[in-house]
Amino acid sequence: MKKSCIAMLLAGGQGSRLYALTQNVAKPSVPFGGKYRIIDFPLSNCANSGIDTVGVLTQYRPLRLNSYIGSGQPWDLDVADGGVYILPPYQSAGEKGSWFSGTANAIYQNMGFIESYEPENVLILSGDHIYKMDYADMLREHIAKGAACTISVLQVSMEEATRFGIMNLGEDGYVSEFEEKPQKPKSDLASMGIYIFNWQKLRSYLIADENDPQSSKDFGKNIIPAMLKAGEKLWPYRFDGYWRDVGTITSLWDANMDMLSTTLINLFDPSWPIGSRSPVCPPHFAGDSAEITHSIITEGCEIDGHVENSVLSPSVKVGKGATVLYSVLMPGVVVEEGAVVEYAIVGENTVIRSGAHVGAPPDGTDAWGVATCGPDIEIRGGALVPAAAMIYTGEEV
Amino acid sequence: MRDYHGIIFAYSAAPELRELVEARTAASLPFCGRYRLIDFSLSSLRNAGILDVGVIMQRDYQSLLDHIGSGKAWDMSRKTGGLRMLPPFGLPEYHTGNYTGTMEALNAVATYIRDIPQKNIILMLGSLCANIDLDAAIRRHESFGADITAICADHTPEGLHHRYFVGDDGLVDQVRFDREGDCDGLASLECYIVRREVLLDLMDKCRSGHLYSFHRDAVNIFLNEGGRMGVYIHPGYACAIRSVDGYYKAGMDMLNTGNRSQLFPADRPVRTKIHEEVSSYYGEKAISRRSLVADNCFIEGEIEDCIISSGARIAPGAKLRRCIVMRGCTVEAGAVLEHVIADKYTSFSAGTVLTGSPRLPIVVPKNFKI
Repeated sequence: MKKSCIAMLLAGGQGSRLYALTQNVAKPSVPFGGKYRIIDFPLSNCANSGIDTVGVLTQYRPLRLNSYIGSGQPWDLDVADGGVYILPPYQSAGEKGSWFSGTANAIYQNMGFIESYEPENVLILSGDHIYKMDYADMLREHIAKGAACTISVLQVSMEEATRFGIMNLGEDGYVSEFEEKPQKPKSDLASMGIYIFNWQKLRSYLIADENDPQSSKDFGKNIIPAMLKAGEKLWPYRFDGYWRDVGTITSLWDANMDMLSTTLINLFDPSWPIGSRSPVCPPHFAGDSAEITHSIITEGCEIDGHVENSVLSPSVKVGKGATVLYSVLMPGVVVEEGAVVEYAIVGENTVIRSGAHVGAPPDGTDAWGVATCGPDIEIRGGALVPAAAMIYTGEEV
Repeated sequence: MRDYHGIIFAYSAAPELRELVEARTAASLPFCGRYRLIDFSLSSLRNAGILDVGVIMQRDYQSLLDHIGSGKAWDMSRKTGGLRMLPPFGLPEYHTGNYTGTMEALNAVATYIRDIPQKNIILMLGSLCANIDLDAAIRRHESFGADITAICADHTPEGLHHRYFVGDDGLVDQVRFDREGDCDGLASLECYIVRREVLLDLMDKCRSGHLYSFHRDAVNIFLNEGGRMGVYIHPGYACAIRSVDGYYKAGMDMLNTGNRSQLFPADRPVRTKIHEEVSSYYGEKAISRRSLVADNCFIEGEIEDCIISSGARIAPGAKLRRCIVMRGCTVEAGAVLEHVIADKYTSFSAGTVLTGSPRLPIVVPKNFKI
């Protein structure tokens, strides 16, 4: 089946800067914004953009991710002649087989999958960004500009530019130079890690890159610079909507807090639904002594305490007299009577016993940070988890 | 594969549900913020591993078809067997009225019943709000060796109902119709496990005698012939929805945590059609007490003792007490609603005041703008 464009979603990274939250699961399957997991965003964007074939490259702790994606039905991606495919590293006859050694290598190892669709273009996505984007519009621009590669870019402030891969443009508007985290940025256009490649071009660069022993097999470090050097046409696609990288504890917490503002990103827009797979639970219940303000609450929750400026995933329980402020509680978290959780991220099914106190408000020092508890932990009564703490599954607190 | 087949009666007109069933059957009434009544019988069957199910419907079934679809939400979209929607196809042309009773409804789909490969049939009421452990009921049916097992409540439900009297041998020896309030015997939930041969025989006898009611006619024939009828007592919440105030009361029952945990036990989940939905958002001045709120709601005003379905928009300054709000309703600033059942997509403009009473809640029909 010949396709104009298929998507390859890079979901194999560990997400090591999320520490306890990705101890046992891959970053794309980390819960986000109440109802969702991070991977819901790129998958829904694909479905809403009319891209019905998505290869998901997995490597690190893929079990949860595989079962979450399943047939792709929650995103309407369970279609004939396409759909979602989980693509793990594999072994071939007579070879030892190897792990994906970089983003470019992961695509290289799955060239067989891509070729079976004979696509004209391939969309490369990451599994750790929160945004709504019409890839079809990007594809139209890519084709109109006759580009070998189109890179989605976001305008950032000059200070921020030092943390991103920056695109410098020539007079014709095409990309002339790419600088990874420049000390003195010459432009404020940051790469969002979203690429559309002409497949035949990409194919030849992947093969060349694979044969270069010096290469680290990475799109940003190797493929894009090689294409620029060879004089290929690289077009910047400007995106001006909401986009957040949620690769760190702080950015994950920030982006969750953003969900409380309905103006930053509108998840209620029926024309661009974000799909998710969630168990069917009864509506959430606000009890006799519940006080819920400026928060997101999901079905299955039972709230009897005080919840303010927080994001609660399905089936969270907050007991009488408990306080939850500026926190992100993932599915199945229990905050018992009288416990306090503030400025914290709490992983799935963790129990905060009566009288425990997790996190602390900002004190103006550099040492302050969001407190994080991994999944399946029991924080015993009376325990104190300070700001910026990181509690791993299996630790006793 | 289990040797049981489910039949759900979803044709009921229930005139006392008034505006609520203008364009739907009782079985497809929205309930508890995100469910339809038929979800309970479908989920009870699903949770006992019974995936071959026929749903008997007659008219106004658009919303029911919409909700059930292929039956995928209950794992009933199968290659062989699975879910079948059964409109009347075995009735003579001149028959235009409603089914007079359960036996007539069964005879209208007699060819389907005859072709059921399983040896036992579970008859369920689509408008019954109960999460029945059919595994336990089947164990009782098999160990007792009955031809019919009647599923009964462990309490006396509101309104008229039939009662079974059980002798020392555990067999039903008497049935009394249309009882009300506390009295002897067990209250019928109008759900039965029946051997297929027995049911086909009773269907034939009722057909030839122009008899239409399962209880009055079929059960009487069966008991008079000395048939073995046992009972299974369903422990937990159960309520057949037949009238507006019954619907309202059952809704308010859900605000009680005990009732809710009986209807939604963790090991027998109630499944329903999944909508694409966002978590709900509470505004800075929101107040929410003793209320159930589905996903995709904006709660910015005050709600107390309410059931709010998805898509509701409750503006700042709006006040709702003891209301049932169905999908997609909008309540603007300053509107005050008390004892109101707002059907789907109704809206209440700023300053509206509507006050019903607990026995006579105000029903605002679907799509109404006030």
